[in-house]
Amino acid sequence: MSTMVDARGLSCPQPVLMTLETIKTLDKGEIVVLVDTDCSKENVIRAASSKGWKASAVQPEGIEYRLTFTKG
Amino acid sequence: MNFLKRGRPKPTFAPNGKDRGILVFDHTSDVIRAEKILQSNGWKIRVMGPPPEIRTGCDLVIEFPLMEKLNILRTIRDAGICPRDAVPVSSPLLQPVDLFHIKDFGRYLMVRAANMKLTIDKETLVIVNVSGGGCPDVPYLAAQMVGKPLAETPAPNEIGHTLCGYALHLAYEEMLRRC
Repeated sequence: MSTMVDARGLSCPQPVLMTLETIKTLDKGEIVVLVDTDCSKENVIRAASSKGWKASAVQPEGIEYRLTFTKG
Repeated sequence: MNFLKRGRPKPTFAPNGKDRGILVFDHTSDVIRAEKILQSNGWKIRVMGPPPEIRTGCDLVIEFPLMEKLNILRTIRDAGICPRDAVPVSSPLLQPVDLFHIKDFGRYLMVRAANMKLTIDKETLVIVNVSGGGCPDVPYLAAQMVGKPLAETPAPNEIGHTLCGYALHLAYEEMLRRC
C-alpha cells in the first residue's frame, strides 16, 4: 500500500515540503510522488534521500514523473 | 592636522540616476572579491544582474558611480583584479540581487534572493531545499547543503562560483539573520 503525494503543478519548494510532511507520518513503507518538472524531481529525490528514503523507481509519464520511494 | 588623516570622503551617488556605470567581469569569483574590496574602501557599489545586451550566462556586474571610474578601477587593479569592461549603464533593466522574498509555509521558511530559494525546517533549522537558478553548480550546492543544519552547512560563497551561488549566499545570510 503506497502513500500518494500529488505535487503536479506546484513549484519548489512545495513538492519537497509535501513529501517531507508525508515522510514525517511514516517510519517505513512506500511513497509515490507525482511531479511535473525536472527541478521538482531532483529536489524531491534529494530531500527524500536526506531522510533515508531510497528512490526505487523514477518513471517518466509524458511530461510528468512518478517517483517511488521506499524505506524499511 | 586630523583633517589630513580623514582622507577624501567617498562620494555617494543616486542608484537610479544616470551617473552609473557597470564593471563587467569574466568570473563571478572576481565580482565577489571586487565587491569586498570596494566596500571595504567605502565605495557605494551594488552587485547586480547584468542588462541583457551584455549578459553572457550566469554572470554578475558591479554598479558604481561613473564619475569615480578611474579611482575604482585603480583600486581593484591594485588588488590584482581586472574587469573585462567598465561601461556606462545604458539599460534600465539592471536587477539588484539583494532583494529578498520571504515565504512562511508554517513549519518551513523560505528565503528567495534573486533567482535562488533556500528553505529550512523552522523547528530543526535543517535545510530542506535549495532550488532555482539554472547555473551549473546548483545541483552541487544543493547536494552540499540539503539535509544539514543551517549553522553547519558550508557557506554558498565558499563552494559556489556563479550568480546562483552568489544569490544563494545572500539568501543564506538572510536566513541566518532571521533564525
